[in-house]
This record gives sequence, structure tokens and C-alpha cells, in this order.
Amino acid sequence: MSESTGRVSDRAERAVRRSPHRPPARRRAQGREAVLALLFTAPALIALAVLRLWPMGSALTTSLLAPGSDVLGLENFRYLFSDPAFLEMVRVTVLFSVIVNPLQIVLALALAVLLTQRLRGVRFWRILVFLPAAVPQAVSAIVWGVALRPDGPVNGFLATLGIDVQPFLSSKDQALFSIIVIVSWIGVGYWMMFLIAGLLDIPAMYSEAAAIDGAGWWQTFWFVIIPQLRRPLGFVLVADTVANFLVFAPVQILTRGGPEGATNLVMFEIYSRAYQYGDLSLAAAETVLLVLIVLAIVTLQFRLLPGKD
Amino acid sequence: MFETYDPMRRKWPRRFWTVVAMAAGIYALLPLLWVLSSSLKPAGEIFAGLSPLTPQVLIPSSVTIESYVALATSSFPLALFNSLFIVTVTVIAGLAMSALAGYGLAVFRFRGRAILFAIVVISFLIPFDAVALPLAELFRDWGLDNTYFGLILPGIGNGFAVFLLRQFFLGIPRELIEAARVDGMNEFGIFTRIVLPMSKPALISAAQLIFVFQWQSFLWPLLIATDPRMTVAPVALASFVGQFEVDFGLMFAGCVLTIIVPIGVLLYAQRYFTESVATSGTKG
Repeated sequence: MSESTGRVSDRAERAVRRSPHRPPARRRAQGREAVLALLFTAPALIALAVLRLWPMGSALTTSLLAPGSDVLGLENFRYLFSDPAFLEMVRVTVLFSVIVNPLQIVLALALAVLLTQRLRGVRFWRILVFLPAAVPQAVSAIVWGVALRPDGPVNGFLATLGIDVQPFLSSKDQALFSIIVIVSWIGVGYWMMFLIAGLLDIPAMYSEAAAIDGAGWWQTFWFVIIPQLRRPLGFVLVADTVANFLVFAPVQILTRGGPEGATNLVMFEIYSRAYQYGDLSLAAAETVLLVLIVLAIVTLQFRLLPGKD
Repeated sequence: MFETYDPMRRKWPRRFWTVVAMAAGIYALLPLLWVLSSSLKPAGEIFAGLSPLTPQVLIPSSVTIESYVALATSSFPLALFNSLFIVTVTVIAGLAMSALAGYGLAVFRFRGRAILFAIVVISFLIPFDAVALPLAELFRDWGLDNTYFGLILPGIGNGFAVFLLRQFFLGIPRELIEAARVDGMNEFGIFTRIVLPMSKPALISAAQLIFVFQWQSFLWPLLIATDPRMTVAPVALASFVGQFEVDFGLMFAGCVLTIIVPIGVLLYAQRYFTESVATSGTKG
């Protein structure tokens, strides 16, 4: 393979030397390039229409039709906002987001900084912290589900410290916290890798300059490193927030939204509306609300991606 | 990086932070070790030695593969095969689609390019799970439920993959492409024979993103693969949890197999990932 590649690029290079750099007839070239671009992006555009726009359109239509009615209206949304179960789900999802996102990002940032220092065996520790990122969320849920049982190793560890058996997933007060542990074991290492890539990309001269100016470690961190890390940090913040909005597997496998709705996050709420209660129009209305929120966050995320012309 | 000019220069803080780094690594690793050792324990020993905690939790008194043997005769191998097959096809098809789109959005100059790029990337950044329920209804209407095609299709559109590849292609010298054109090579030939061979790190990273998405997908197969013969590994494992009498050894053995595949892939792809996240400017 390398041989043929070499030949082609050799040929290309010779052509570079041969070709005088002539600006092409601008407009015709633009039309041709637009057609080519459309040809290359056609599969993606078709996939996008079928896999994103169509279901969004169908959810929107369903959400605007009250059951047994064929007049478009906001009846489903009006019902949702007067439904205590729905409002409780919103409260739980917001509470979950407000805890899990800062927690994961602070931990990911702290670990990223720690694991880019010159420490003994640091590359190895970095890989270990990253490893859980490979674990599917469903598998993390299964493993921690056993680990957090009353007779499981976590309670065994607490007992060694002299702490009583904790109910974790079966307690109204601890279940959401347990879900946070389950998703963070995977999430922290994953987001850490993006931040490590960002840290390694900051030219050393910035911190050298700060050191010459007599800045201490914390000052360097706050006033030099964090501003330089703004983009990757913003990206991770937004991407993590979206990902945590859609947490589903741990809830479905372990708590089914309970006890008493304490872990009823939005994806499971939509799933159970549709499949446990068979109420497709309310599930569609909730899907529409979810997509609107996610779309707003994703548009923000897109603006944080650099180099978009 | 700011390591040289910090308190780490002194010996004792550095030792302290090394211990913290070790502790973090071990904390992340412990659950994995526990799963592995539990899968190798004889039946009935999995919950032994837990209270108070003894080393028996992580070190089996005797190693046995009986759980794996039992697993081999269950329905799990089929689920694992389904997962492997689905993820392989998804990565190939998804990579082809993302590379074509990324190239189309990077190389050609035309009015509306920025808007087309925004539409493609933003749409694919909307997490698939958010629209999974309405899409499942549609797929059932179209007869795509319980088919490999139906399970594969949603995994191929990945906004990050398109973005990453496009950023990489932007960095390819335009003269190279112009020269090939002058040489009479067609656009598709330029793409496959000149651009793709020099894009290995970006392609591996994009493949990794597509792989991770598809391997861990749970909601979609739960909705669309109701036939037990079409089920995938994570869903099959989750169905163990609901059983009246859970065979934990079997379950842990299944977890080990479901984790080992992505760990292998990530360890291989990781160095390319850091590299191409750097060149893609996600960190800008």
C-alpha cells in the first residue's frame, strides 16, 4: 500500500512543480465545486434527513395532537406543565445535572492537571484513569448495581470503617447519588482526555513567562492556564451536559425511576410514558421539549468548535 | 504545560502528588479488577470475604473458568456476535460517510459552505438518543425492527467524526489537490488515493468515536431488537439483572467480555486520539 501511495504523491508533487498557479474562472468553478460538495455530502445529508429531521418532525406532529383529536394544538404541553409527575421529573433532572456536571468537570480538570505533571509512572496512571471510559454505561450500571448491594463490596468497605450498611439504590435519598457515581466512574476519565489534549497544547513559554514574572503555581493556573484552556473546557462543559441529559441505562436497569421517582430522569420518563403507560402523544411532547433544550445547548457547543470559517 | 515552574520541583510535594495519581488510577481500576476476579471465582464465593473486607474480594481462592463455560452455552455468545458484527459494519459505513462529508465540506469552495457545514454538524451533534423513540416508531412502520440494518443505521451519523475529519482535511495543502487535478485525476480518485492514505490518525480517531457510540448503545437496541436473536451484549447483560435468581458469575463473565473489546480498541486508538484532537483544534 505504501508503495502505491508513494507513487501517487510523487506524481502529484511533480504536477505541483509543473502547474503555474492560475486563478480559475471564478463563478463556473464555484458552481462546479458546489455540485461536487453536494455529491460528497449526499450520504450524510440523506442520513441526517432520515435519522434526525424525520423523527423530529414526526415527534412534533404527534405532540401537537391531543389523544383522540385531529386538531393541532398545545393540549399535550398544557397537560404536562400541570402534571406534578412531570414537574417532579424536571426537578430531579435539573438536580442531577447541577450536581453531576460540575462534579465530573472539576474532577476531570484536576486529574488532567495532575496527570500532565512530571510524576513517576504518570503515563501509566493516566491510562488507568482513562480505562473505565471504555465501559458501556449499561455495564457500569450492572457492575455498580452489584457493588452497591447491602452485601456488596462497597458496604463491606464501609463496615471495615465501622459505618452501618447503607441502602444506596433502594433509598430515596441515596439513589440519585448512586446513579451519579455510576456515570462518573466512566465519564471523568473520558472528559479528562479532552482536557489533557488541551493542556499539552499550551506552549510552555506562557508558564515560563509567568514564572519569570514571579507568579506562583495557583496564579499561573488561574491567570495563564485556565484562560488558555477556555475552548476545550467550554467544549467539555457543553458536551458533558448534553451527555448527562440523556442518561438512561442505569435508571432503566437499576431503579426504574424509583424509589418514589427519585431517579426519574428525562430519558427514562419519556421511555416509560411511551412503553409503560402507552401514552405516545405525551411522550412525543416530552421528546420535543428535550430536543429543543438539547438543540440550544448543541448550537452553543458548535460555536465553541473553532475553525468554522 | 506548566510543570517545570511549580512546587513540584521540590521533592516531597512531588512524592505526595505521585501517590495521589496512583490512588486515582487504582480507584478507577478497582471495579474492573473486581469484575475480572469475580468472573473467575467458583460459584458461591462471589460475595465471600466482603464483611469485613478481605483480600479474597480481589483474589479468588481458586481460579475457575466455569462461569465462562456456562456463559458459552447461554444465549450470550449470540448477543456478543451481534454486537461485534453491528459495530464492525457501523464503523466501516460510518467512516465512509463521515470522511466523504468531511472532505466535501473541507475542500470545495462555494457559497453557503459555512451554512451547510453548520447544518450537518449541528444535526449530528443532537444526541441520537433524544430522537430514538419517535425514530423507533418510524423504523417499525418501515419494517426495520429486528434487522441488522435497523440496528446499524443510527450509528453511522456522527457529528464529531465529521467535524474531526473535516478539520484534518482542511490542513491538507491545497496545492496537492490542485496538482492531482492538473494531472487529470478525478475528484473521487483524489479523495481515495491521495487524501485518505495520508489521513490515518484522523480516520482512526473518527472510527473510535463511531465505535464507542455503537458499542455502548443500549436504548436503541432495547427499542428495536425485541427478538432475542437480535439482541446485543449490553442488553443481554441487563436482562440477567431482572432474573429471579441472578447467576452472578455468569453475569460478571459477560461483563468482562463486553468490556475487553472496547478497552482493546481504546488502548490502540488512544495515542491517535490525543494527536488528532490536537490537530482538529477542538482545544483551540
